[in-house]
Amino acid sequence: MSNNSNWFRVLTYVFLSAFALFNIVPLFYMIVDSFKTEPEYAASPFSLPTKLHFENYAKAWDIANMDTYFMNSLIITFGSLIITVLLGSLTAFFLARFKFRFRKSTFAIFLLGMLVPIHATLIPIFLIMKNIGLLDTYWSLILPYTAFHLSLTIFILEGFMQGLPKDLEESGVMDGAGVYRIFWSIILPIARPAMATVIILNFIYNWNEYLFALVLISSEALKTLPLGLANFVGVETASMTLQMSALAIALVPIIIFYLLLQKQLVTGMTAGAVKG
Amino acid sequence: MNTLKGTRAAIFFGMLPALLIYIGIAIIPIFVSLYYSFFNWDGISAKSAVGFDNYVRIFNDSVFWLSVKNNIIIMVTGLIGQIPLGLLLALLLNRKMRGSTFFRTVGFMPVVISSVMVSLIWGMIYNSEYGFMNALLGFFGLDSWQRNWLGDTSISMYSVSLAYIWQNCGLYMVIFLAALQNIPGEVNEAAELDGATGLRRVFRITIPMIRSTILVAVVYSISNSFRVFDLVQILTGGGPAHMTEVMTIYMYNHAFVSRQFGYGSAASMLILLFSLIVVSLVNRLGREKEI
Repeated sequence: MSNNSNWFRVLTYVFLSAFALFNIVPLFYMIVDSFKTEPEYAASPFSLPTKLHFENYAKAWDIANMDTYFMNSLIITFGSLIITVLLGSLTAFFLARFKFRFRKSTFAIFLLGMLVPIHATLIPIFLIMKNIGLLDTYWSLILPYTAFHLSLTIFILEGFMQGLPKDLEESGVMDGAGVYRIFWSIILPIARPAMATVIILNFIYNWNEYLFALVLISSEALKTLPLGLANFVGVETASMTLQMSALAIALVPIIIFYLLLQKQLVTGMTAGAVKG
Repeated sequence: MNTLKGTRAAIFFGMLPALLIYIGIAIIPIFVSLYYSFFNWDGISAKSAVGFDNYVRIFNDSVFWLSVKNNIIIMVTGLIGQIPLGLLLALLLNRKMRGSTFFRTVGFMPVVISSVMVSLIWGMIYNSEYGFMNALLGFFGLDSWQRNWLGDTSISMYSVSLAYIWQNCGLYMVIFLAALQNIPGEVNEAAELDGATGLRRVFRITIPMIRSTILVAVVYSISNSFRVFDLVQILTGGGPAHMTEVMTIYMYNHAFVSRQFGYGSAASMLILLFSLIVVSLVNRLGREKEI
């Protein structure tokens, strides 16, 4: 029996390690090769670089307009994030803590958004943005990102707020506080764990989005990181090492962000997933 | 009475901005798309109504059916690759063991990376001249297995699928882990007392207990496979010779490359329709089994 379970443990570790390697090797491969010269890379993508060619990074940063893309991604990501979380948490608060007519149907309409493929809305959104003069501006991305992420935001926050004790508002009401005061000073601070999850998820989605950016942004000066990278790689086809350096520049911050917040993210995800 | 009135107004105005943005940008456009799909229109000159012409044309286009087939390949390989593997990983990682946090963290990492980066990285791995894949095979002396992973039409779609599985597997692992952690401890204790151990316990008790989560994951995986765009667009652009084209790329090309907004809208309606049909089928099958 114990012999058996030892074997099982060994097999488990072998399998999990293989899986971990499968996940890490592609990233590792890219980072290693980003430090090589072009002939070195062509000779063998396996070997470690003889010398770390940091100049690849400087060159990639320059040619690829990484600073512009980073800035645009930051503005659009946080712009949409702030609006989504503010409007979403307020809506979730009303849906979770009050009884009113159309409460259920309003919630259902918001949930519907998780089923809708954005492709079914892409052409009208493009034409709307064009007609109201927002095409190729920050707003042309901030508004759709907000609209499409309200669903998940409200879903997670509503569930969390629903679970809070029912008499939470009473002290506020006794003090004569209005509903907004109660939301801001009582519910919002308590909802912090769920807010954190929502913020991280929104950040990742907005930061990584590609299709809307592809359709709605055309000027080089407004391109986001994914769009700019895809474009750069399409143009700079000759130099693989330069491509990899550009990729590594974009990759490293998101990996660090993930490693710092992964505990919060994974617990939050799991809490949300269970309810779904 | 007065305060109640005030509260109602506060609720209404509090939810209004979210509702306006959401309905205006995520819901109404679906119906607008449906409307456009009955027109021939380049977005600039006057629309001309063509009835169901766009749909008839799409159904007669062999490239469209190729893209449907490719979507099905992504769907099936995605299901096979993500659900059982994710479940297995979750089952293994749900026990107390050293390193489980590490494996969890690494397992979820690809989910956090943008599809653009995933496809660029895999594009380099698959590179036929000096990509990692061929180098790896060469290293093990399997030179005969080396090939042009994305250019060879007989396997290109499967190469795309592998990258797709790599990207999403961790998500299902986390979803299943969540469900497993929610199983009350008493259930396992009771099972142990009854002498149910090992695989028997997994199949008889654990898996049935997270059945609804598995169903949700299957539905989610299917509807996601109909939305695949970034990964394929950047990895292959739908080529070679449409061999990796999926429905979203078909739609994008007609709407935004050749500016046929009516035709593209019809294609986008079919994406919506197909994914709703498959999702509701799976949902029904899942429910019937429960009864």
